[in-house]
Amino acid sequence: MRLQLPDGTIRDIGREVKTVAALLTGCNINPLEVIVTKNGRLIPEDATVSGNDEVRVFLVAHGG
Amino acid sequence: MPAGKKECIPTCDNCGDPAIFFDPGLQRHLCERHLCLGLEHRVTRALTRHNMVSDGDRIAVGLSGGKDSSVLLSVLSLVIPEHWDAEIIAVTVDEGIAGYREETIQSAVSLTQQLGIPHHIVSFQSLFGTTLDSLLIAHPLRACTACGILRKKALSDAAREIAATSIATGHNLDDAAQSVLMNYFRGDFERLLRDSSSREERGFIRRIKPLHEVNEKEITLYSMIKGITGLLPECPYATTAFRAEVRTLQAAIEYHYPGASRRIITGQESLNEQAKKTIRPGTVSYCASCGDPCSGPVCQACGLLAGLNKRD
Ligand SMILES: [Zn+2]
Ligand SMILES: [Zn+2]
Repeated sequence: MRLQLPDGTIRDIGREVKTVAALLTGCNINPLEVIVTKNGRLIPEDATVSGNDEVRVFLVAHGG
Repeated sequence: MPAGKKECIPTCDNCGDPAIFFDPGLQRHLCERHLCLGLEHRVTRALTRHNMVSDGDRIAVGLSGGKDSSVLLSVLSLVIPEHWDAEIIAVTVDEGIAGYREETIQSAVSLTQQLGIPHHIVSFQSLFGTTLDSLLIAHPLRACTACGILRKKALSDAAREIAATSIATGHNLDDAAQSVLMNYFRGDFERLLRDSSSREERGFIRRIKPLHEVNEKEITLYSMIKGITGLLPECPYATTAFRAEVRTLQAAIEYHYPGASRRIITGQESLNEQAKKTIRPGTVSYCASCGDPCSGPVCQACGLLAGLNKRD
Protein backbone atom coordinates (compact mmCIF):
# COMPACT_ATOMS: atom_id res chain seq x y z
CA MET A 1 0.00 0.00 0.00
CA ARG A 2 1.03 3.55 -0.72
CA LEU A 3 0.29 6.16 1.93
CA GLN A 4 0.44 9.83 1.02
CA LEU A 5 0.51 12.21 3.99
CA PRO A 6 -0.72 15.86 3.99
CA ASP A 7 2.85 17.18 3.63
CA GLY A 8 3.33 15.13 0.46
CA THR A 9 5.46 12.42 2.08
CA ILE A 10 4.86 8.98 0.58
CA ARG A 11 5.30 5.78 2.58
CA ASP A 12 5.03 2.10 1.73
CA ILE A 13 2.87 0.54 4.45
CA GLY A 14 2.85 -3.13 3.48
CA ARG A 15 -0.16 -5.20 2.39
CA GLU A 16 -1.69 -6.28 5.67
CA VAL A 17 -5.25 -5.29 6.55
CA LYS A 18 -5.37 -2.35 8.96
CA THR A 19 -7.89 0.27 9.98
CA VAL A 20 -7.52 3.87 8.92
CA ALA A 21 -7.62 4.90 12.60
CA ALA A 22 -4.68 2.61 13.43
CA LEU A 23 -2.77 3.88 10.41
CA LEU A 24 -3.30 7.52 11.41
CA THR A 25 -2.60 7.19 15.11
CA GLY A 26 0.55 5.28 14.13
CA CYS A 27 1.64 8.45 12.28
CA ASN A 28 0.65 10.66 15.25
CA ILE A 29 -2.31 12.07 13.33
CA ASN A 30 -5.65 12.74 15.03
CA PRO A 31 -8.31 11.24 12.71
CA LEU A 32 -10.59 14.22 13.45
CA GLU A 33 -8.11 16.59 11.84
CA VAL A 34 -7.86 14.80 8.49
CA ILE A 35 -9.89 13.31 5.68
CA VAL A 36 -8.82 10.03 4.10
CA THR A 37 -9.39 8.58 0.64
CA LYS A 38 -8.78 5.01 -0.51
CA ASN A 39 -8.21 4.73 -4.24
CA GLY A 40 -9.77 8.17 -4.63
CA ARG A 41 -12.90 7.52 -2.55
CA LEU A 42 -13.68 9.03 0.85
CA ILE A 43 -13.66 6.49 3.71
CA PRO A 44 -14.40 6.68 7.45
CA GLU A 45 -11.70 5.99 10.03
CA ASP A 46 -12.95 2.51 10.97
CA ALA A 47 -12.70 1.33 7.35
CA THR A 48 -9.79 -0.95 6.53
CA VAL A 49 -7.11 -0.65 3.88
CA SER A 50 -4.96 -3.46 2.47
CA GLY A 51 -3.14 -4.94 -0.53
CA ASN A 52 -2.37 -2.40 -3.22
CA ASP A 53 -4.65 0.37 -1.93
CA GLU A 54 -3.59 3.95 -2.51
CA VAL A 55 -4.32 5.87 0.68
CA ARG A 56 -4.25 9.66 0.81
CA VAL A 57 -4.56 11.85 3.88
CA PHE A 58 -5.77 15.47 3.59
CA LEU A 59 -5.72 18.05 6.34
CA VAL A 60 -9.07 19.53 7.31
CA ALA A 61 -8.61 23.13 6.16
CA HIS A 62 -9.08 25.79 8.83
CA GLY A 63 -10.89 29.03 8.72
CA GLY A 64 -13.15 31.02 6.50
CA MET B 1 -1.93 -5.81 13.54
CA PRO B 2 -2.68 -9.54 13.60
CA ALA B 3 -2.43 -11.25 10.21
CA GLY B 4 -5.74 -12.23 8.69
CA LYS B 5 -7.65 -9.30 10.14
CA LYS B 6 -10.92 -8.95 8.31
CA GLU B 7 -11.56 -6.25 5.75
CA CYS B 8 -14.15 -3.71 6.82
CA ILE B 9 -16.13 -1.51 4.46
CA PRO B 10 -18.64 0.30 6.68
CA THR B 11 -22.02 1.20 5.25
CA CYS B 12 -24.45 4.06 5.90
CA ASP B 13 -26.82 3.41 8.82
CA ASN B 14 -29.60 5.11 6.88
CA CYS B 15 -29.40 3.55 3.43
CA GLY B 16 -26.65 0.93 3.23
CA ASP B 17 -24.51 2.82 0.70
CA PRO B 18 -20.75 2.96 1.37
CA ALA B 19 -20.07 5.16 4.40
CA ILE B 20 -17.68 8.10 4.14
CA PHE B 21 -17.97 9.38 7.70
CA PHE B 22 -18.33 7.94 11.18
CA ASP B 23 -19.94 10.19 13.77
CA PRO B 24 -18.35 9.06 17.05
CA GLY B 25 -20.82 11.03 19.18
CA LEU B 26 -23.90 9.45 17.60
CA GLN B 27 -22.07 6.20 16.77
CA ARG B 28 -23.45 6.37 13.24
CA HIS B 29 -22.00 5.81 9.78
CA LEU B 30 -23.11 8.12 7.00
CA CYS B 31 -22.83 8.02 3.21
CA GLU B 32 -22.20 11.15 1.10
CA ARG B 33 -25.89 11.84 0.64
CA HIS B 34 -26.84 11.38 4.27
CA LEU B 35 -23.90 13.44 5.54
CA CYS B 36 -25.13 16.32 3.37
CA LEU B 37 -28.78 15.88 4.33
CA GLY B 38 -27.83 15.66 8.01
CA LEU B 39 -25.80 18.86 7.85
CA GLU B 40 -28.60 20.72 6.06
CA HIS B 41 -31.07 19.41 8.63
CA ARG B 42 -28.95 20.62 11.55
CA VAL B 43 -28.63 24.08 9.99
CA THR B 44 -32.41 24.27 9.51
CA ARG B 45 -32.91 23.10 13.10
CA ALA B 46 -30.49 25.72 14.44
CA LEU B 47 -32.24 28.45 12.42
CA THR B 48 -35.64 27.36 13.76
CA ARG B 49 -34.74 26.60 17.36
CA HIS B 50 -32.91 29.85 17.92
CA ASN B 51 -35.35 31.92 15.85
CA MET B 52 -32.47 33.07 13.68
CA VAL B 53 -34.69 33.91 10.71
CA SER B 54 -38.10 35.54 10.25
CA ASP B 55 -40.10 36.24 7.11
CA GLY B 56 -39.09 39.52 5.54
CA ASP B 57 -35.48 39.30 6.79
CA ARG B 58 -32.57 40.48 4.70
CA ILE B 59 -29.67 38.28 5.75
CA ALA B 60 -26.12 39.46 5.09
CA VAL B 61 -23.95 36.35 4.85
CA GLY B 62 -20.29 37.01 5.60
CA LEU B 63 -18.48 35.24 2.76
CA SER B 64 -14.70 35.15 3.01
CA GLY B 65 -14.44 32.57 0.24
CA GLY B 66 -13.01 29.95 2.62
CA LYS B 67 -14.74 26.63 3.24
CA ASP B 68 -16.88 27.55 6.29
CA SER B 69 -18.52 30.64 4.83
CA SER B 70 -18.84 29.05 1.37
CA VAL B 71 -20.62 26.03 2.82
CA LEU B 72 -22.76 28.38 4.94
CA LEU B 73 -23.87 30.36 1.90
CA SER B 74 -24.57 27.21 -0.13
CA VAL B 75 -26.66 25.63 2.64
CA LEU B 76 -28.57 28.81 3.44
CA SER B 77 -29.39 29.35 -0.23
CA LEU B 78 -30.86 25.86 -0.20
CA VAL B 79 -32.78 25.77 3.10
CA ILE B 80 -33.92 29.39 3.59
CA PRO B 81 -36.23 29.52 0.53
CA GLU B 82 -37.81 26.22 1.63
CA HIS B 83 -38.93 27.60 4.98
CA TRP B 84 -38.87 31.40 4.97
CA ASP B 85 -39.59 34.35 2.79
CA ALA B 86 -36.21 35.98 3.41
CA GLU B 87 -33.51 37.50 1.22
CA ILE B 88 -29.85 36.47 1.21
CA ILE B 89 -27.01 38.80 0.24
CA ALA B 90 -23.38 37.71 0.37
CA VAL B 91 -20.90 40.22 1.82
CA THR B 92 -17.17 39.85 1.31
CA VAL B 93 -14.62 41.95 3.15
CA ASP B 94 -11.33 42.39 1.29
CA GLU B 95 -8.81 42.96 4.07
CA GLY B 96 -5.99 43.60 1.61
CA ILE B 97 -3.71 40.58 2.01
CA ALA B 98 -1.56 40.31 -1.09
CA GLY B 99 -0.98 36.88 -2.61
CA TYR B 100 -3.85 35.34 -0.64
CA ARG B 101 -7.06 37.32 -0.97
CA GLU B 102 -7.10 37.51 -4.79
CA GLU B 103 -7.75 33.79 -5.11
CA THR B 104 -10.21 33.45 -2.22
CA ILE B 105 -12.23 36.50 -3.38
CA GLN B 106 -12.40 35.02 -6.88
CA SER B 107 -13.71 31.81 -5.34
CA ALA B 108 -16.38 33.87 -3.48
CA VAL B 109 -17.36 35.63 -6.72
CA SER B 110 -17.74 32.35 -8.64
CA LEU B 111 -19.83 30.83 -5.85
CA THR B 112 -22.31 33.73 -5.67
CA GLN B 113 -22.62 33.71 -9.47
CA GLN B 114 -23.25 29.99 -9.45
CA LEU B 115 -25.87 30.30 -6.69
CA GLY B 116 -27.38 33.45 -8.21
CA ILE B 117 -27.01 35.43 -4.98
CA PRO B 118 -26.31 39.18 -4.90
CA HIS B 119 -22.74 39.88 -3.77
CA HIS B 120 -21.48 43.01 -2.04
CA ILE B 121 -17.70 43.46 -1.69
CA VAL B 122 -16.15 46.03 0.64
CA SER B 123 -12.48 46.65 1.38
CA PHE B 124 -10.41 47.85 4.33
CA GLN B 125 -8.86 50.28 1.85
CA SER B 126 -12.15 51.99 1.02
CA LEU B 127 -13.57 51.83 4.56
CA PHE B 128 -10.50 52.57 6.66
CA GLY B 129 -8.04 54.01 4.12
CA THR B 130 -5.52 51.21 4.61
CA THR B 131 -4.98 47.55 3.75
CA LEU B 132 -4.21 44.98 6.43
CA ASP B 133 -0.78 44.49 4.86
CA SER B 134 0.25 48.17 5.14
CA LEU B 135 -1.31 48.43 8.59
CA LEU B 136 0.84 45.57 9.82
CA ILE B 137 4.04 46.91 8.24
CA ALA B 138 3.70 50.23 10.06
CA HIS B 139 2.41 48.77 13.30
CA PRO B 140 3.60 45.55 14.86
CA LEU B 141 0.14 44.51 16.01
CA ARG B 142 -1.06 41.00 16.38
CA ALA B 143 -2.38 40.38 12.89
CA CYS B 144 -5.41 38.26 13.78
CA THR B 145 -6.56 40.59 16.57
CA ALA B 146 -6.39 43.74 14.43
CA CYS B 147 -7.89 41.95 11.44
CA GLY B 148 -10.68 40.49 13.57
CA ILE B 149 -11.68 43.86 15.02
CA LEU B 150 -11.65 45.65 11.67
CA ARG B 151 -13.34 42.81 9.77
CA LYS B 152 -16.19 42.76 12.26
CA LYS B 153 -16.65 46.51 11.87
CA ALA B 154 -16.43 46.25 8.05
CA LEU B 155 -19.06 43.53 8.00
CA SER B 156 -21.40 45.57 10.27
CA ASP B 157 -20.96 48.71 8.16
CA ALA B 158 -21.55 46.78 4.94
CA ALA B 159 -24.63 45.09 6.40
CA ARG B 160 -26.05 48.45 7.47
CA GLU B 161 -25.35 49.86 4.02
CA ILE B 162 -27.43 47.15 2.36
CA ALA B 163 -30.14 47.44 5.05
CA ALA B 164 -29.61 43.89 6.32
CA THR B 165 -31.62 42.73 9.33
CA SER B 166 -29.04 40.14 10.42
CA ILE B 167 -25.48 39.02 9.76
CA ALA B 168 -24.77 35.29 9.36
CA THR B 169 -21.22 34.05 9.87
CA GLY B 170 -19.62 30.64 9.29
CA HIS B 171 -18.44 29.98 12.86
CA ASN B 172 -18.60 26.24 13.53
CA LEU B 173 -18.74 24.02 16.58
CA ASP B 174 -14.96 23.64 16.83
CA ASP B 175 -14.41 27.42 16.62
CA ALA B 176 -16.88 27.94 19.45
CA ALA B 177 -15.33 25.30 21.72
CA GLN B 178 -11.85 26.71 21.04
CA SER B 179 -12.98 30.24 21.87
CA VAL B 180 -14.41 29.12 25.22
CA LEU B 181 -11.17 27.28 26.06
CA MET B 182 -9.02 30.25 24.99
CA ASN B 183 -10.98 32.60 27.26
CA TYR B 184 -10.52 30.18 30.17
CA PHE B 185 -6.79 29.88 29.53
CA ARG B 186 -6.50 33.67 29.38
CA GLY B 187 -8.70 34.05 32.45
CA ASP B 188 -10.80 36.48 30.42
CA PHE B 189 -13.99 36.38 32.47
CA GLU B 190 -15.50 39.44 30.83
CA ARG B 191 -15.19 38.07 27.34
CA LEU B 192 -16.34 34.65 28.49
CA LEU B 193 -19.63 36.10 29.69
CA ARG B 194 -20.16 38.55 26.87
CA ASP B 195 -23.18 37.38 24.95
CA SER B 196 -23.52 39.37 21.78
CA SER B 197 -26.43 37.34 20.44
CA SER B 198 -28.91 38.94 22.83
CA ARG B 199 -27.81 42.53 22.46
CA GLU B 200 -30.46 44.69 20.89
CA GLU B 201 -28.99 48.17 21.16
CA ARG B 202 -29.65 50.88 18.67
CA GLY B 203 -27.65 50.34 15.52
CA PHE B 204 -26.66 46.81 16.43
CA ILE B 205 -27.41 44.22 13.76
CA ARG B 206 -28.12 40.76 15.09
CA ARG B 207 -25.42 38.15 14.42
CA ILE B 208 -26.36 34.53 13.77
CA LYS B 209 -24.15 31.42 13.51
CA PRO B 210 -26.17 28.75 11.66
CA LEU B 211 -23.20 26.31 11.52
CA HIS B 212 -22.69 26.33 15.28
CA GLU B 213 -23.75 22.69 15.62
CA VAL B 214 -21.57 21.40 12.78
CA ASN B 215 -17.93 20.46 13.15
CA GLU B 216 -15.06 21.35 10.87
CA LYS B 217 -14.59 17.87 9.45
CA GLU B 218 -18.24 17.61 8.37
CA ILE B 219 -18.03 21.06 6.76
CA THR B 220 -14.90 20.05 4.87
CA LEU B 221 -16.55 16.83 3.68
CA TYR B 222 -19.69 18.70 2.62
CA SER B 223 -17.56 21.16 0.67
CA MET B 224 -15.62 18.32 -1.04
CA ILE B 225 -18.75 16.31 -1.90
CA LYS B 226 -20.62 19.29 -3.32
CA GLY B 227 -17.52 20.73 -5.00
CA ILE B 228 -18.01 24.09 -3.26
CA THR B 229 -14.42 25.16 -2.71
CA GLY B 230 -11.28 23.73 -4.20
CA LEU B 231 -7.89 23.80 -2.54
CA LEU B 232 -7.41 27.38 -1.37
CA PRO B 233 -4.31 29.02 0.09
CA GLU B 234 -4.14 29.53 3.87
CA CYS B 235 -3.92 33.09 5.18
CA PRO B 236 -0.22 34.06 5.40
CA TYR B 237 -0.84 35.57 8.84
CA ALA B 238 -2.49 32.23 9.68
CA THR B 239 -4.24 31.98 12.99
CA THR B 240 -2.36 32.93 16.10
CA ALA B 241 -0.03 30.30 17.50
CA PHE B 242 -2.26 30.21 20.57
CA ARG B 243 -5.41 29.24 18.67
CA ALA B 244 -3.45 26.60 16.75
CA GLU B 245 -2.28 25.05 20.02
CA VAL B 246 -5.75 25.16 21.52
CA ARG B 247 -7.15 23.60 18.33
CA THR B 248 -4.77 20.63 18.60
CA LEU B 249 -5.71 20.21 22.24
CA GLN B 250 -9.46 20.50 21.57
CA ALA B 251 -9.25 17.97 18.71
CA ALA B 252 -7.38 15.52 20.96
CA ILE B 253 -9.98 15.89 23.73
CA GLU B 254 -12.82 15.46 21.24
CA TYR B 255 -11.21 12.33 19.79
CA HIS B 256 -10.80 10.66 23.18
CA TYR B 257 -14.07 11.96 24.66
CA PRO B 258 -16.55 12.25 21.78
CA GLY B 259 -19.06 15.05 22.34
CA ALA B 260 -16.73 17.01 24.66
CA SER B 261 -16.74 20.10 22.40
CA ARG B 262 -20.52 20.21 22.37
CA ARG B 263 -20.56 19.86 26.18
CA ILE B 264 -18.02 22.70 26.56
CA ILE B 265 -20.38 24.95 24.57
CA THR B 266 -23.57 23.79 26.29
CA GLY B 267 -21.91 24.35 29.67
CA GLN B 268 -20.87 27.82 28.58
CA GLU B 269 -24.40 28.62 27.43
CA SER B 270 -25.90 27.68 30.78
CA LEU B 271 -23.21 29.70 32.52
CA ASN B 272 -24.24 32.70 30.39
CA GLU B 273 -27.88 32.14 31.33
CA GLN B 274 -27.01 32.05 35.04
CA ALA B 275 -24.75 35.08 34.74
CA LYS B 276 -27.52 37.10 33.10
CA LYS B 277 -29.60 36.73 36.28
CA THR B 278 -26.93 37.93 38.66
CA ILE B 279 -24.67 40.29 36.75
CA ARG B 280 -26.09 43.69 35.92
CA PRO B 281 -25.50 44.47 32.28
CA GLY B 282 -22.70 47.01 31.84
CA THR B 283 -23.80 50.38 30.57
CA VAL B 284 -23.88 50.50 26.81
CA SER B 285 -22.49 53.62 25.25
CA TYR B 286 -22.12 54.59 21.63
CA CYS B 287 -18.83 55.24 19.85
CA ALA B 288 -18.10 58.98 19.67
CA SER B 289 -16.56 58.47 16.25
CA CYS B 290 -18.87 56.07 14.37
CA GLY B 291 -21.91 55.63 16.61
CA ASP B 292 -21.63 51.86 17.01
CA PRO B 293 -22.64 50.40 20.37
CA CYS B 294 -19.55 49.84 22.52
CA SER B 295 -18.39 49.68 26.12
CA GLY B 296 -16.08 52.73 26.22
CA PRO B 297 -15.97 56.21 24.68
CA VAL B 298 -15.03 54.79 21.25
CA CYS B 299 -15.42 51.33 19.71
CA GLN B 300 -12.48 48.97 19.34
CA ALA B 301 -12.16 49.58 15.61
CA CYS B 302 -12.16 53.39 15.89
CA GLY B 303 -9.76 53.16 18.84
CA LEU B 304 -7.41 51.02 16.79
CA LEU B 305 -7.56 53.32 13.77
CA ALA B 306 -7.21 56.50 15.86
CA GLY B 307 -4.10 55.06 17.52
CA LEU B 308 -2.60 54.47 14.09
CA ASN B 309 -3.34 57.98 12.84
CA LYS B 310 -1.88 59.60 15.97
CA ARG B 311 1.43 57.83 15.52
CA ASP B 312 1.62 58.40 11.76
ZN1 LIG C 1 -26.98 6.90 3.33
ZN1 LIG D 1 -16.43 53.45 16.27
